[in-house]
Parts: sequence; C-alpha cells; structure tokens
Amino acid sequence: MTQAKPRAKKLPLKERYALLTRDLDWEPSYVEREKLFPYTSYEGIKIHDWDGWQDPFRLTVDAYYKYQAEKDKRLYAVLDGFAQSQGHLGLADASYLNAIKLFIQGVTPLEYAAHRHFAYLARYLEGPAPRFAALCQSIDELRHCQTQIHTISNYNKYYGGFHSWSKMHDRVWYLSVPKSLFDDAMSAGPFEFLISISFSFEYLLTNLLFVPFMSGASFNGDMPTMSFGFSAQSDESRHMTLGLEAIKFLLEQDEGNVPIIQAWIDKWFWRAYRMSALVAAMMDYMLPKPVMSWKEAFELYFEDQMLGGLFPDLEYYGIRPPRHVEDAIAEKDHLSHQVYKILHNFSFAAAFTTQTPGVEHSAWLSEQYPGTFDELYKPVWDKHARTEAAGGRIFFQGLPQLCQVCQIPMVFTEPDDPTSTSFRTSSFRSETFHTCSDGCKWIFDREPEKFVQAWLPVHQIYQGNCGGPSVPEVLDWYGIQEGDNGEYKGSPDQRSWAEWHSGAPKQGS
Amino acid sequence: MAVKALYDYEFPSADRAENFGDDQLVYVHWDGNPLFCSAACFRVPKAMPFGEFVAGVVAPWAGSDPDFDAAAVAGWRLFDEPLQPADDASLADLGIGHKALLHFSA
Repeated sequence: MTQAKPRAKKLPLKERYALLTRDLDWEPSYVEREKLFPYTSYEGIKIHDWDGWQDPFRLTVDAYYKYQAEKDKRLYAVLDGFAQSQGHLGLADASYLNAIKLFIQGVTPLEYAAHRHFAYLARYLEGPAPRFAALCQSIDELRHCQTQIHTISNYNKYYGGFHSWSKMHDRVWYLSVPKSLFDDAMSAGPFEFLISISFSFEYLLTNLLFVPFMSGASFNGDMPTMSFGFSAQSDESRHMTLGLEAIKFLLEQDEGNVPIIQAWIDKWFWRAYRMSALVAAMMDYMLPKPVMSWKEAFELYFEDQMLGGLFPDLEYYGIRPPRHVEDAIAEKDHLSHQVYKILHNFSFAAAFTTQTPGVEHSAWLSEQYPGTFDELYKPVWDKHARTEAAGGRIFFQGLPQLCQVCQIPMVFTEPDDPTSTSFRTSSFRSETFHTCSDGCKWIFDREPEKFVQAWLPVHQIYQGNCGGPSVPEVLDWYGIQEGDNGEYKGSPDQRSWAEWHSGAPKQGS
Repeated sequence: MAVKALYDYEFPSADRAENFGDDQLVYVHWDGNPLFCSAACFRVPKAMPFGEFVAGVVAPWAGSDPDFDAAAVAGWRLFDEPLQPADDASLADLGIGHKALLHFSA
C-alpha cells in the first residue's frame, strides 16, 4: 500500500503576504532616495520608520482581484435583471432620481479623481505597505467610478439629467462644490491628501456623505444603486481603515507632526462638512420616502460616533476635535432647509428638478425639526406654494454670491441667529474675498494664495468664460438640455412617469 | 501662513479687478427676505449712477418676489456701514468698489 505524499506546506498568511508585498521594496542604488521620493518631505511631516505602517487586511494582489471579480459578477447580474424587467417602473417616484442625478454628476467624477490621486500615492509614498494600500484603493476607486456609471446610466434611457455628467462636473455651478474640494486636496501634498480624503472624507464623514444615498436607494426601490452600495461596502471599510491607519501612523512617527495634522483636520473637517450640505438637502428634500433626517444622521454618525467615539481616542495623541465643530452642531437644525432653498431657487440652471414640499412632506419636516421648520422655513415654502397655486414658480432671477472657499451660495446664517445671513470678508493683495462662515474664512486666511485662484462659476460667467452672457447660452455650455432642469411638476420626467403608471390594464377591462 | 510648495507659489487672483475692465462685481443682499437664498452678484460699470443701478439692475432681480415694492426700498448699507446714496452719484463715487457688498431692506 502506497501512501500519498504529504502536500507541500502552504505558507502562513503573514509570510505569504510579506513575500508578495514587502519584498517588492528595495533600496535605490543608482538614484538618491530623495529623487525617487521627492514629495514626502516638503510638507514638514517627519517619518522615521515607514515599516511602522501595517496593513491590517494583509491583502495580496491575487486575492484582491479574485474577490473584486466575484463582487462585480454579482452586481452586473442585478443590473441586467433590473434593466430587462423595466425595474425603473418600481421606483417610489420619478422625483427620487433627482438624488441620483446629483450623485452621478457630483460623486462619480470624484471616484475617478480619487483613483488618479491614489495611483500617485501608490508610486510616491515611501513605505511598501502604504503604497500597496494606495494601489488597491486606486483600483477600487476606478472600479467604483465604472460601476456607478454602469449602474446609473440605465436611467439615462428614460429620464433627463443623466447624459452629460462628466462635462457638467467640470462646468456647472453646484458641481464646482465637490470638484473644487477635490482639486484642493489633489493640489496639496501627499500627507495632506491622506488627511483630507482618507481620514476626513472616508473616515470622519463617510457615513454622512455616502450612506444616505445608498439607504435612500434601498428605501425608494432603486435596487441597482443599493447593490452598488453593497458591492462597495467592503472596499469602503478598507478605505476607512487606511484613513485611520494613516492618521495614527503619522501621529506616532514624530511629535512635530501633531500640530500639522491638527491644522489639516481643522481644515478638512470643515471642507468635507460644507460639501455634505448638498447631501443634507438631498436627504430631507429629495427622497420621496425619506430614510432619516439630516439632523438625526448628523447626531448618530457624527456627534455620537466621531465626537463621542473617535476623538476621545485621538486625544491620546494630542489631537482635539476639529475647529468650528460647534458651528456645525449649531446649524444642524437649519442646514438642509437653507441648502435646498438654493437648489429650489436655481434649478432652472441645474441638471435636476426641484419642487416645493407638499403637505405630507412638510408635516414630516415639522416632525423632524420641531424647533425650526414651522417657524423659519415653512412660511417661505407656503409663499412658494401660493405662487404656484396661481400658476407661477419663483426662481432667483440672477446669479448668487458665492463663498470663495466652499463655493456654495452665501446662504448660511449666523450660528446664534438663524435670521441673519453670515457674511465674512478678508482682504488679500487689496482685493476683497467673501466667505460664508468662520470655518471657510479661517481656511481662506490660512492659504489665501491658494484660494484666490478659485474658479467661481458666477464670476466666470461674468468674465464671459461660460458660453455667453444669457441663461440659455450658459445652459448650453453646461450641457443642460430642455427638460433636465426647472420645476419637477410638469417636467418631462414627471409626465412620463404619470403616463407609465396611468390607466387600468387593457386586457379584461 | 503661506502655502507649502516645492516652488515659489505665486498666482494671480481669478477675479482681480482688471479682468472686468471698466466694470466690477457688486453683491446685493435683501436683508430679512428668506425667499432669496442668498445675496445676488451683478457685473456693472463702475460709472453707473446709483439710481440706474437700483432701477435697472436690483429691481428686476428683487421683482422675482411678487411682494417686492420698489418704493419701499430703504436702509442701504455698504458692508456694515450705513449709506445715503444720491441717485446720480456713480458707484465709484459712493465708494462701492469691486466685490463690494450692499444691503437693503424693503
């Protein structure tokens, strides 16, 4: 009787991981190290031991591709099924898709930008573990961009506003908010980018920025977007870990890093938080079946989880909660109402439609915002509703004043007085610059040389750089087509939806 | 604090006055009217008389509010300072410069 040979021993995971990743690192012999890695010292961050960066996932390239391919197969099966069975007819309402238009125009191009910048980090960070983590994230972000395009473009066959999102991202006024945030991060050094995107964006505020869209999809019958969300979830948890790993590594390496990191947290919390104002408006005003209010999400995901959970941990390293966080807390009862007002005022120039909240929607808002909605915001919506009942629709017949930093119209009110608009100004090289809040003013005053270059859509229109002086010329240059924009009621989307859902079945009636 | 960079970081402002020639940008905020989400931004000649600015530029915008009454416009302020504008004084004469912020109530 012969005995089978014992199989060759498999390497333990840790060793296998080391061979597949760390051994790809080497000491340069014919160029100086500073030439190979020219970007890792000028920000003032000191790293003494790059091997101190651990990758808790111990992911290798072969495992990575195998896992991602399986997730893609499952996602594309859902997309095919949804498309073939006319799944879009099962949405809560066609108006739901305004949230998804905002997503593909505003968020999907950011995935692509993140892919580009993580590819840069995968080349230029000095340690093999962070380079590999950045490489995986770079590929993740490219995959997210592609799968979002495939997921959402199905709606392009039937609804307006989905056709020219890439061009719009570069040109349209409200999309300059996310675009300029990412441009700010990408034009910073590699460590600031890690704190801005990996930490502040992917860790601190990810649940506020990303989860509401996916939960909104699930509540409103958008199976493909929900499936995309699930498909991205494991990547996102890896990105969150990278964000946390990055900040702890940088803080542990040198005490001198602490004040630099603190200033970046102060800046990037406020930058990412201001951008989340668009998500706040979406959550409270654009979902036919709301998931939870912005205020509730802010309290749960930010106040409880981050201020209550993360920052006490970071205190050990000498890090305190972000500057101006008290202003964010003070405006949680106001943010979504003020920002949706912008979208409602200007949707004639947007690639989505808006509508005045109806009776049931207003009742929900009153319930969610007992201290503020009835007193401050409902009276204005009632005025809109009266005008609309008489056949009108109030838009803002002009262009708004924008904040030099966040690029959102200057709509926000004083933290201690919700009836008084907050105006801040700075003077730099004898020119006046306007900001919407103490947070944005602090960011401007810290790096005025950077923010004076801001491409503010309103000022660019007035300089003649956006297709022409009239609204139709600008809309044409934006790539916005008739019917993408304006009021939802009576829009092509609303009319088709009503037509598709009207009438009794023909057979047997 | 200066921008940290690997080179001399020096770029012109995107909206510097010279980009607008004889014109300038002026912001106008209707205090206490939440129908408009924010102040408006206009491009106007520096030499434009204030009266023409109000009648020809501000009023058409403010008129998007059906309750706007041009006769009730008062309480002009330039930034935080009260302003008593004569209708025939130009914006430049009144000290209303590039990217100035005006307030009124009605």
